[in-house]
Amino acid sequence: MDAINLIVRSIFVDNMIFAYFLGMCSFLAVSKNVKTALGLGIAVTFVLVITLPLNYLLENYVLKAGALVWLGEEFADVDLSVFSLLIFIAVIASFTQLVEMIIERFSPALYNSLGIFLPLIAVNCAILGGSLFMQQREFANLGLATSYAFGSGIGWLLAIVGMAAIREKLEYSNVPKALKGLGITFIITALMAIGFMSFSGINI
Amino acid sequence: MNRENSGYTIIYASVMVIIVALGLAFTHQVLSDRQTANVNIDKMQQILRSLNIDAKPAEAEEKYNDLVKNAYLINIEGVKVEGTEGTSPFDPAFTAELSDENAEGLPVYEAEIDGAVRYIIPMSGAGLWGPIWGYLSVEADGSTVYGSEFGHAGETPGLGAEIVSPAFRNQFKGRELLKSGVFMSIAVVKPGQSVAGRDYVDGISGGTITSKGVDHMLLTSVGKYKSFLMNLNAAN
Amino acid sequence: MALSSKTKTVLLGPLNKNNPIIVQVLGICSALAVTSKLEPAIVMAIAVTIVTAFGNVIISLLRKTIPNRIRIIVQLVVVAALVTIVSEVLKAFAYDVNKQLSVFVGLIVTNCILMGRLEAFALGNGPWPSFLDGIGNGLGYGWILVVVGFFRELLGSGTLYGYHVIPQSFYNAGYENNGLMMLAPMAILLVACIIWIHRSKNKELQEETN
Repeated sequence: MDAINLIVRSIFVDNMIFAYFLGMCSFLAVSKNVKTALGLGIAVTFVLVITLPLNYLLENYVLKAGALVWLGEEFADVDLSVFSLLIFIAVIASFTQLVEMIIERFSPALYNSLGIFLPLIAVNCAILGGSLFMQQREFANLGLATSYAFGSGIGWLLAIVGMAAIREKLEYSNVPKALKGLGITFIITALMAIGFMSFSGINI
Repeated sequence: MNRENSGYTIIYASVMVIIVALGLAFTHQVLSDRQTANVNIDKMQQILRSLNIDAKPAEAEEKYNDLVKNAYLINIEGVKVEGTEGTSPFDPAFTAELSDENAEGLPVYEAEIDGAVRYIIPMSGAGLWGPIWGYLSVEADGSTVYGSEFGHAGETPGLGAEIVSPAFRNQFKGRELLKSGVFMSIAVVKPGQSVAGRDYVDGISGGTITSKGVDHMLLTSVGKYKSFLMNLNAAN
Repeated sequence: MALSSKTKTVLLGPLNKNNPIIVQVLGICSALAVTSKLEPAIVMAIAVTIVTAFGNVIISLLRKTIPNRIRIIVQLVVVAALVTIVSEVLKAFAYDVNKQLSVFVGLIVTNCILMGRLEAFALGNGPWPSFLDGIGNGLGYGWILVVVGFFRELLGSGTLYGYHVIPQSFYNAGYENNGLMMLAPMAILLVACIIWIHRSKNKELQEETN
């Protein structure tokens, strides 16, 4: 039950885009077309679901203060948390490289339409943000951390696909010249974010 | 030396990693004393806030040493554990972790403000996203709350995170933890609701789960001190 | 010291026509999350400026030695190391602000501005211009953060940098702090307003399609 709660909450209440505005750069750039948005959303979710639990294990068994105690009592004082940023980003960058190679192999069409944004998944704030929030929130076990990763990824996917759907329709609207493109996208994002706040009372 | 040569790449990467690792470890070593001092000062600020005193970091340590006259551990029956008295950041009360099951006892702080003794009790619990914690300061009767302080790690800003706001905390002033000498705790309810038989405060609108977390924390974490509080009440 | 015209473009460009946030569309994530109060916004701006400037210098100095295959990784390592150092310094000297910024200090690593400038400028230019480019982009990012932080704190809490600015008499007359300003969506709307004003003045930046 806890896990389901966590997933629903990370999709709607603590949505990576609408509550924390993480992953905005690729969100703004790839949200012009629903198919590409869906592809990127799935890629981001996939990277999150693998890297966050990996980083969770690293954080709890290697990095945080006293984590190395399983090696032996004398390691109880060791605090490697100063290396967490480096380790997290290394894990994420390596795994993104892997995903890039897989997509190039199995779906060259998607690979071409995503272009530069595929390697940019490595610096997507939402992915590193997920790992950093995991570090701050101290999840009780690996299962909950994975549920959180899954929920966050789906939340991001929902946001970018929703935005793409709206922007596709927006082609026919009469937007003031100075607001065309970036400006109106920002306003739509803000309105969607306010809309998502209505989920804040969810309790399963 | 060919830049694209595999050997060069590997050596380059290794040298870079070593330099970075050494640099970071060095920085951490040099700064860690100051960092620990800051963490201690932050804790003192939290304890002072539960006494309704908002102290800036620079003056926190002085004010803390001025007002907090004693600190010690108590066991589950509410009796002071021998040899644990001391108010410095290195003494058992300050360093004790509430979640540690093997701890010698539970920490209690005693402060004297305007001649009256107040007892400060730490508490910890779980919010929506992560841990929540706080301090409750109680009058000498072991029941009436003098002030409160709450903290959280990752609650939603504007919603659950509001438990740190003065508006939420001020509700606790004057509420009673004991009714007729028995520990009842203070309930946190949805705004507009009420509870019979115990004192209650309004939770945060939109922050239901965090508010429930506070309610549970007051019941179980502060609940560990119930013998201590009931003894105080009986003596006064 | 007179600034050459090239130096001027590098340093002043990001403050207006080449602004990282509203023109290059980089670094938006942290710009929105930390601006509910002015103080964390200013600290974040300073942190990003320092990391961008020194990151640019380091990569520029190393640019002729970096193997192409691990280019991105080297950039990431340098940036992660710099951000870790900034984070450690904050924890030692500005603990309060570090608590407010929480994970967003770490997120400077993925701040698109850094990687963007490293790829676009530092890899192809000398250390001094790279340093100026870093400072320029940091300041361009910074002024947007300060403006958004200014309005959000003023209208959302009635304070500026922690000091009460709106007089009590206003509150007594019925004025209330705008709670919505404290929540994230308002930051985006404020940036949208800045974009509107900016692009009305700089017509060449206006886009063709929605």
